[in-house]
Amino acid sequence: MREGTSADAVEGIIPKFVAEPASAEEVTATLEQAARDRLSVVTRGSGTKLGWGPPLQSIDILLSTARLNKVVAHRHGDLTATIESGATLANVNRELAAHRQWIPLDPYSGDRATIGGIVATNDSGPRRHRYGAPRDLIIGVEFARADGVIARGGGIVVKNVAGYDLPRLMTGSFGCLGVILTATFKLYPLTASSQTLVVDLRDTRQLAALAGSILASHLTPTALEFQTPPLRLLLRFESIDASVQQQSATARQMIDSAGLSARTVTGDDEAELWTRYGAPRAAGAAVKVSAMPTELASTLTLLDRLAAGNYSANGRAGLGVFVLHLDGDAAALEKIVVGLRESLPAGRGSAVVMKGPVDFRKQVDVWGPIGDGLPLMKAVKQRFDPDSLLNRGRGPGGL
Amino acid sequence: MLPYGVNATFLAKLEEIVGHAYILNDPNELLTYESDGLARLHAKPGCVLLPGSAADVQQIVRQCHQHRIPFVARGHGTGLSGGALPHPDGVLIVLSRLNRILEIDIANQRVTVEPGVINLDVTKCVAPQGYYYAPDPSSQLICSIGGNVAENSGGAHCLKYGFTVHHVVGVEAVLPDGEMVHLGGPALDAPGLDVLAALVGSEGTLAVVTKVTLRILRAPERVRTILAAFESTDAAGAAVSEFIAAGIIPAAVEMMDRLTIEAAEAAVHPNFPKAEAVLIVELDGTQSEVDGLFEIVEAICRRTGGTEIHIAKNNDERARIWRGRKAAFAAMGRVSPNYYVQDGVIPRTKLSEVLGRIRALEKRSGLRIGNVFHAGDGNLHPLICYDEQIPGQGDLAEKVGAEILQYCIEAGGSITGEHGVGVDKSAYMAKMFSESDLDTMQKLRCAFDPASLCNPGKVFPTPRLCGEVPGPYRQHPAERAGLAERM
Ligand SMILES: Cc1cc2nc3c(=O)[nH]c(=O)nc-3n(C[C@H](O)[C@H](O)[C@H](O)COP(=O)(O)OP(=O)(O)OC[C@H]3O[C@@H](n4cnc5c(N)ncnc54)[C@H](O)[C@@H]3O)c2cc1C
Repeated sequence: MREGTSADAVEGIIPKFVAEPASAEEVTATLEQAARDRLSVVTRGSGTKLGWGPPLQSIDILLSTARLNKVVAHRHGDLTATIESGATLANVNRELAAHRQWIPLDPYSGDRATIGGIVATNDSGPRRHRYGAPRDLIIGVEFARADGVIARGGGIVVKNVAGYDLPRLMTGSFGCLGVILTATFKLYPLTASSQTLVVDLRDTRQLAALAGSILASHLTPTALEFQTPPLRLLLRFESIDASVQQQSATARQMIDSAGLSARTVTGDDEAELWTRYGAPRAAGAAVKVSAMPTELASTLTLLDRLAAGNYSANGRAGLGVFVLHLDGDAAALEKIVVGLRESLPAGRGSAVVMKGPVDFRKQVDVWGPIGDGLPLMKAVKQRFDPDSLLNRGRGPGGL
Repeated sequence: MLPYGVNATFLAKLEEIVGHAYILNDPNELLTYESDGLARLHAKPGCVLLPGSAADVQQIVRQCHQHRIPFVARGHGTGLSGGALPHPDGVLIVLSRLNRILEIDIANQRVTVEPGVINLDVTKCVAPQGYYYAPDPSSQLICSIGGNVAENSGGAHCLKYGFTVHHVVGVEAVLPDGEMVHLGGPALDAPGLDVLAALVGSEGTLAVVTKVTLRILRAPERVRTILAAFESTDAAGAAVSEFIAAGIIPAAVEMMDRLTIEAAEAAVHPNFPKAEAVLIVELDGTQSEVDGLFEIVEAICRRTGGTEIHIAKNNDERARIWRGRKAAFAAMGRVSPNYYVQDGVIPRTKLSEVLGRIRALEKRSGLRIGNVFHAGDGNLHPLICYDEQIPGQGDLAEKVGAEILQYCIEAGGSITGEHGVGVDKSAYMAKMFSESDLDTMQKLRCAFDPASLCNPGKVFPTPRLCGEVPGPYRQHPAERAGLAERM
């Protein structure tokens, strides 16, 4: 452990100490000391998501997972891999590609984001449409609790119902229950062929109709995305070549008969399109919105009114989950988020602030209503981290 | 005599909640509820309740909490690990009357049901529109969605589509203190800790589920099924490895060995070839994808020594193949007076090694062992044959089952892939997990159920108390209602 410097600052806050453990034992030692001296701990992967949640007040120990960055095991015959939390997704997938396999996650900033950070935030990208989120792919976890004790849940086999599902409990826990050391995933084979169709749309009615008919069809796209402005639908097929060609042809017919036209993107252009896709704005706020897929169009129409057209958005048209990028001062931003939440009753949607100016995040309820499950979640936090040392106040619902 | 706690006053209160017809405490009426699918174990509950609504469930649990009476939820009692085994000093809450399908939302691919709804009925209600509910346990004609949620049930098609946890998006549940919570919902990514995922697979030890929102899937355009016979389970296993190496994830890959093939043949005549092993491989998806990959699968089966290959020509033939597979457990009754179903998991690549050990064990113990497995995900179901009439054989079968679990653990696998730990396997938890792993799971249990009333004595090897954690004071509903005070 060393003293923090301005180079370690998170949103202007310099941690008192920085720990860069290289082993599980060192993580334990750090946490034991933190528990003894009641020091608060903020866990950092590569820092791509440290702006999520309410702003930090102070940091006693910044625990970086950067040196825990190995692929512990790639069991290609079993289609599983165990990875240390500080490894970046991009490096991991490069390594797994040696056997033409991958963890089918493609969150934006996937080249820098670490496995631990992705699991802790349950972050995903366009291919969630087909492959699911980290929650759907994780099969095992090893983490250090607030008291430094190391615990495991799940295992290295894809099918396993022994004991409580700690891997999924840790997924999306925003580091408030423990420090993830390793995660084990089920893997997928890389596909042989890929093609993307881009459809320009006039209005959200067209979006609803086209996305709806694709969902109701037999097509099995790996991504079904919308983007605005300008309003577009993106449809990606990945499989063996014959299937990509057939599906793409079928989809183009559907698009034609809706009176629209599709641009087909392949090869390097396609790779380029998806690498740049979903890049956040440098400034402004980002809000993760979830709605019922059939209410996506009306949610966008509402946004047109609330944000007076001054927003951009992109996300999963088939799942109803998207990222909203906003500009404006804290008061204006808050008004939009609050207005949006009014149309999203608990269970049927949510709007969570992921990123934004500190003054905005200070004043807005970052998570929005959690519902009647909140006391239970608090009880879980209390049992796992009774002194609230881990990512204090930054867990979902302010845990 | 009524057990301590479940006394006449308490029973009267419960009767008020559910009505006279739905409280059972006559010893004869209780018989049906003494065991679940693990008939070896039985216990008589203090009483059985058949609530007709979620509100009834909540009131029952409140009563139990107030009087510190343990309670056990039961769906349709098909569980194979004793999860629904009653507590002798407690009440059994049977959810079979909560059997309504509440909402079907095809456009958003959601169905909301009460927990007593039968698994297959979910598919039946959306099949006319071309949709289905993916998790397909062999017991899907009889088991409940509530039981599926509690066990995180799987089935043959879970290789490609995942288990119950992948298809449950929201639940309403009554916590052990009687509070009702709504976790998740029809929309994805409800903010908050994923306590919903923790509840799935918790074997009824964390809450009583009263409503479930499920994801349904569009039925695939094309499904093709192949049945291939092999000279050995190793050869069949080699074929499976090659599918994976070729980048193919079939919808299902099932393997049966000679004994289970014979049994299935005797019971339901699926017309399986006489062989040391058969593989059933099913592909689904778009027409072009299925046809393209099917060619590769067929070629692999031939190359790795498939002797006889049958390709289902139509739905009837496909159904016949699956009938043979799904009847495998029950069919063992045709070849052995008694049998014990084991459920363990190994990394798929250890198949040959572990099967070798099981064969050696068969010789050593003198008990025949049939094997059916979900070969794609390494989930073994050894069926250990024995004869109750022969003294000691029942115990021997259990010992053999335990030894197989040990092989699974040594291979890096799990003591259960789908049937759960229940009471049956709680003793093996400590072999698979360390003391601190179990202690951590215990923290989760204590967060849900600090008073240890919800299906106590299941899953964990030694019952533990939660200890006092100075936490935010939560007023008990009865206190709030002015019915009780904290002393
Ligand atoms: C022939 C046969 C084949 C089988 N095949 C498979 C298979 O292929 N795959 C598989 O996964 N399983 C299989 N099973 C096991 C069993 O069918 C499943 O575990 C099923 O999910 C149990 O459902 P149930 O309604 O019978 O639950 P029960 O046996 O009544 O209960 C099981 C557990 O769930 C809890 N529970 C039930 N309802 C609720 C509720 N509403 N809230 C909270 N807890 C609840 C109980 O307390 C208990 O712990 C098979 C069983 C048989 C007999």
